[in-house]
Amino acid sequence: MAINKNSNLYIITYTVVMVVIVGALLAFLATSLKDKQAANVLNEQKVSIMKAFGEADASFDEVVTMGRLTAGEFVAVEEADVQAVFELLGNRKALTEAQDKLPIFKMEKEGTTKFVLPIVGKGLWGDIWGYVALQQAEGNVVITGIVMDHAGETPGLGAEIATEKVQKAFEGKKLYNAEGKFAVRMQKGGAQNEYQVDAITGGTKTCDGVNAMLAESIAKYEGFLRATEAQVEKDVEAETPAEEKPAAEETPAEENVESKTKEE
Amino acid sequence: MKLSKNFTNPLAANNPVIVQILGICSALAVTVKLEPAFVMGLSVTFVCAFSNLIMSLLRNGVPSRIRIIVQLVVIATLVIVVDQFLRAYMYDISKQLSVYVGLIITNCIVMGRVEAFALGNKPWDSFVDGVANGLGYAFILVLVAFFRELFGSGTLFGFDVIARFGYVNNSLMLFPPMALIIVGVIIWVHRSINKDLQEK
Repeated sequence: MAINKNSNLYIITYTVVMVVIVGALLAFLATSLKDKQAANVLNEQKVSIMKAFGEADASFDEVVTMGRLTAGEFVAVEEADVQAVFELLGNRKALTEAQDKLPIFKMEKEGTTKFVLPIVGKGLWGDIWGYVALQQAEGNVVITGIVMDHAGETPGLGAEIATEKVQKAFEGKKLYNAEGKFAVRMQKGGAQNEYQVDAITGGTKTCDGVNAMLAESIAKYEGFLRATEAQVEKDVEAETPAEEKPAAEETPAEENVESKTKEE
Repeated sequence: MKLSKNFTNPLAANNPVIVQILGICSALAVTVKLEPAFVMGLSVTFVCAFSNLIMSLLRNGVPSRIRIIVQLVVIATLVIVVDQFLRAYMYDISKQLSVYVGLIITNCIVMGRVEAFALGNKPWDSFVDGVANGLGYAFILVLVAFFRELFGSGTLFGFDVIARFGYVNNSLMLFPPMALIIVGVIIWVHRSINKDLQEK
């Protein structure tokens, strides 16, 4: 019996069978590779966070304490909740909208405490995101490291935000100016002060996006950062009497060294 | 004889990129470094070979009215397979290739070979034709990436090659227009060797 290959019945049957086979095949493939892919994404998140901390070689699981900012307090994440935090980090929309239980990472090393916060925003063509590492110093909050990535900024222009060169420029920049306002930004025409970073020529829209991303994402943590800042100051005051003497001795000693060097 | 000609033809005399000028888009986009170019070349070879094979096996049953749709479904399925595997086992490279893996679907070489060859030839011939065309594409990609990575980053496969001799990287090589110029130079050299390809 010859089949009419151009009849509607044949074409519809052919299409349905084809779609069912292909659908089953892809569903099987997607499910069987899912765990492996999820592990890759998770690992990438951990590596990014470690890069922001400036400890690219250290193991995330060993040195970082994961937390969530609950009602302005750092609350360590329980084992069962770890996955939920990483899922939130991977979901940029949910992360933008989150107002409470914000993910935050803490690392204590040699007496200093650094925090890493996730940042999300919009560039010129699509999403931009990353992690920023912050540390309290001199009554201010200082950026110690930043990593940024993007979905589709212009190569050579906006996409430069993902390069080490641009990210390095953020190190040591202070978040708040003398009036206590959020001041860190990428400045068109070049950095003028300790809050500003050179913007990328030709990548102005992306830089605007980075500025908005930093301002909006960090603002959610502002209460916590300032509270910790005050805490650090108090601690310093409390410790001052004990430290006063050595500090007083150190200063002249340093001066001596300097004057000696000058004499030589 | 026919088979070996099927195989060697797309590699040089009838190269899909430099003679038929197909697949230029991805040749510009993924040739900044050798590694992604290499993986992209292999991915296209895989898709091209198996879409040719599958379409050749199906060629007598496919209703001609919807053959383009069937071709697209087969190609798209294979591309998703490649994409999923890269994501699971070569995550960094899959990130570098980003959308271009998905865009293999629109690579004219793949559909061009299915339409022009696989629908009229036996499975084995079609498979060889697919492999050869994929390799022809991969060869040009790797060649372009070789020059771009060497002079743009001073490295090959990420290994420092000439940067240590005080070479200053020419970042112009990293921009897409330079890929176009390199492809142009390759076409020029190729045509001056194969005089019969020159238009009168």
